[in-house]
Amino acid sequence: MAATAAPEVRPDIDRDEETDSRTSLEPGFLVICWNDPVNLMDYVTHVFQVVFGWQRQKAERHMLQVHNQGKSVLTRDSLEKAEFYVHQLQRYTLHATMERDQE
Amino acid sequence: MKRLWARQKQLVFEISTRERDLLFEILRLYPLVPPAHHRLSKTDANDQFNENQRLLEEALAAQRAENRKHIQALLNEPGRFQTAPNGLLLKISRSETDWLLQVLNDVRVGSWIALGSPDTEAGEKILVNEETAPHVRSMEIAGAFETVLLDALTGGQDRSR
Repeated sequence: MAATAAPEVRPDIDRDEETDSRTSLEPGFLVICWNDPVNLMDYVTHVFQVVFGWQRQKAERHMLQVHNQGKSVLTRDSLEKAEFYVHQLQRYTLHATMERDQE
Repeated sequence: MKRLWARQKQLVFEISTRERDLLFEILRLYPLVPPAHHRLSKTDANDQFNENQRLLEEALAAQRAENRKHIQALLNEPGRFQTAPNGLLLKISRSETDWLLQVLNDVRVGSWIALGSPDTEAGEKILVNEETAPHVRSMEIAGAFETVLLDALTGGQDRSR
């Protein structure tokens, strides 16, 4: 049986970096699509399918939520992935942002 | 403009010369959405987010440059539009359809922004006059082409079979 290495005690500064790194990887960010009266409903559905790889039914459900409720939370993910998705959605000129999940 | 048939990787449309000219006119307007229109977050505004916002704008600018190259290729490629009995045939791949949708929607949204972003769903009217008419026109034409492309991607039976 391989021996388990003793945990290394690091100075405070290293612990802070660890915390930062963990934060960026934790799914603490919401990707939100906001209603825009100009975007066609079928277009929004198409974009959700392309960006997230969703089936049409799921994409339509989120599109309708955007249309009827003003916004839809599309996914909850890490900082980096949330940024990636927002960038993809904005490439298609959708009104998308990422917000910290307060819950 | 209407879809004639769809293959696994290619869509074929019948398009009149008038429609082709309108399509070119719309594509030449790209890009219309102002660079500062897109924000990464509504609430976060710390240094890290500002840096990420800058990176986002750079990435979008690179994407626009890429789309402009695609447009030039589409406008100048010989044989892209072939003469047919009822007008012209336009053949585009499914991946080209996707960037074409991006470009058309940029023109649509950019025109809407130029009109003052009217909330038509809340009953706000678009006043059509000499100044606003070009924006209304480009917004509506871009939307009409988008509808045809989206319908071709998702709807209807293949008429060639």
